[in-house]
Amino acid sequence: MASINDISNEFVRNEIDEYIKEPDEREGLIATYAAISSRMQSIGAALVDGQNKTVDALTVEALADGVPALEIMDDGLIAAMRIVGIKFRENFIYVPEVLSCARAMKAGMAHIEPILSASGIKPLAKVVMGTVKGDLHDIGKNLCIMMLRGTGFEVIDLGVDTSADEFLAAVEEHEARLMGMSALLTTTMPNMAVTIEAFIDEGIRDDVKIMVGGAPVSQEFADDMGADGYGKDAMECVALAKRLVKEDAAQEG
Amino acid sequence: MTVKPMNGRERVLAALRGEAVDRTPVCNPTSVATVELMDLVDAPFPDANRKPELMARLAATGYTELGFDTIMPVFSIIQESSALGCKMQWEQKDNWPTVRMREPIWVEPDDIKIPTDFLTHPDTKCVLDAIRILKKEYGNDVAIIGKTMGPWTLGYHCFGVEPFLLMSLDDPGKTKLCLDRMTKATVDFGVAQIEAGADALTLPDHATGDLVSGDYYKRFLRDLHIELVERLPVPLILHICGRTLDRMEYIAQTGMAAFHYDSKNEPAEAMDIVKERIALVGNINNPETLFAKGPEEVRQEVYRNLDAGVPLVGPECAIPLQTSIENLKEIPRAVKDWHRDHSTPN
Repeated sequence: MASINDISNEFVRNEIDEYIKEPDEREGLIATYAAISSRMQSIGAALVDGQNKTVDALTVEALADGVPALEIMDDGLIAAMRIVGIKFRENFIYVPEVLSCARAMKAGMAHIEPILSASGIKPLAKVVMGTVKGDLHDIGKNLCIMMLRGTGFEVIDLGVDTSADEFLAAVEEHEARLMGMSALLTTTMPNMAVTIEAFIDEGIRDDVKIMVGGAPVSQEFADDMGADGYGKDAMECVALAKRLVKEDAAQEG
Repeated sequence: MTVKPMNGRERVLAALRGEAVDRTPVCNPTSVATVELMDLVDAPFPDANRKPELMARLAATGYTELGFDTIMPVFSIIQESSALGCKMQWEQKDNWPTVRMREPIWVEPDDIKIPTDFLTHPDTKCVLDAIRILKKEYGNDVAIIGKTMGPWTLGYHCFGVEPFLLMSLDDPGKTKLCLDRMTKATVDFGVAQIEAGADALTLPDHATGDLVSGDYYKRFLRDLHIELVERLPVPLILHICGRTLDRMEYIAQTGMAAFHYDSKNEPAEAMDIVKERIALVGNINNPETLFAKGPEEVRQEVYRNLDAGVPLVGPECAIPLQTSIENLKEIPRAVKDWHRDHSTPN
């Protein structure tokens, strides 16, 4: 079993030591970082520290030296976002810090995405994502989208203020079997139920798994309105999306 | 000590001053407007946010129909942002008007300009005129509460949420300068509402635990809020949604009369932090209780707050527009029943 001293980058080592307390997560991250190159660890360290210019430069440099884009995304960027996600969940950091890390991830992804798109890798699934009608907040939704894309999902982003009809149309047009709705306001949360009702009325509720999230949303609220799942944050959104895709595949037989 | 019977205004103002009351006031620091109430008095959104007569008529239902001890005519949080020049989405009857924060109007501190017509702009003037109407009609009986946005919320509206939060991390000094400059809008609109007849002001400033840390509140806002208490000479009710237990200690230091707090915070725990330094108000859950459940569940939440000694009771935030009147009426009903059950026989 890998130990924390197997991680060469001091910053990453300290981050894991100080902030990752849950044994499974700690063990998983130590194993991940012990197995990846010091170069990818440096990208990860810069990302966790919110240094977008450094991530940009190191990504360009690594690609120029022939490091595969997929390796940079998985080992350099996504692994670091796992640390960021846990720190956010445990209230060690808040949205400004997460936004800063997301900005750093975007700086790296800007170089990686075109390469991955051109390589024709099949996405895990298509996901339609949007903030519900009447709500113009999108930070949480955008973080989810970034993490979903980074994990291999194809995301159709409907933006903010999305009506039930727009969700319906997008799911049908893109033949998506997974959809995510976000709301930041207690006043707009009921529009999640309105949208789910619209899918029932159209007779296609069983054709799509619906996940919901947003600061005021809870598991109880999600259950009450008949959503298939609730994610507290972007990390949970990714885990939930993977689970729902599996369930969907199992149901399809 | 026996307290003589009070009307709504006396009750609310006494509670905000930390004085004895005949019973716990039912207070609405944000909005209890609903589609049902709009239909009842023919004052629908979006016009009820833009025409003073309709704004006053819809606001009054909080007292006349629901039996609250307050009237709050400012249903949304966008009136002054509209006057500052933000792009607006006024929506329809069944949705809230919002600021298009993806299209910010300011980037740098030097962009901040409070327009000379800030207080005569139709969307700020509407609030001032509505307060005058309400003061004249109900001012002796019920507390008229105004609302002026704090600089942090104005920052979200005028700079965009994401750019503003990133600025706070990248350049805290610049952010503080922006907050200082935007405070003029908060004070000007607040003073104008006081002159129009507001008995108290809600001051929403959304430095919520769902976005920023308690330390952020201390660093960027505590001293500014102390300053606002000095500059706005009526009781102020600070409103911050979401988790706020980690900043209640700092909030209690501001001198604000009350803190309007969210159901994500346990009443007894919150009371334990603030003690007698600031009155708590709110906490009745909107989406899961007032919107989705029935009067019995509403009653349980009211009792939980009263049992914890919370001095003013009300919904946690602006309620969903589809909330039923019956659930809202249950709040004052439950408060009265709780006091009847807890009264000491003479």
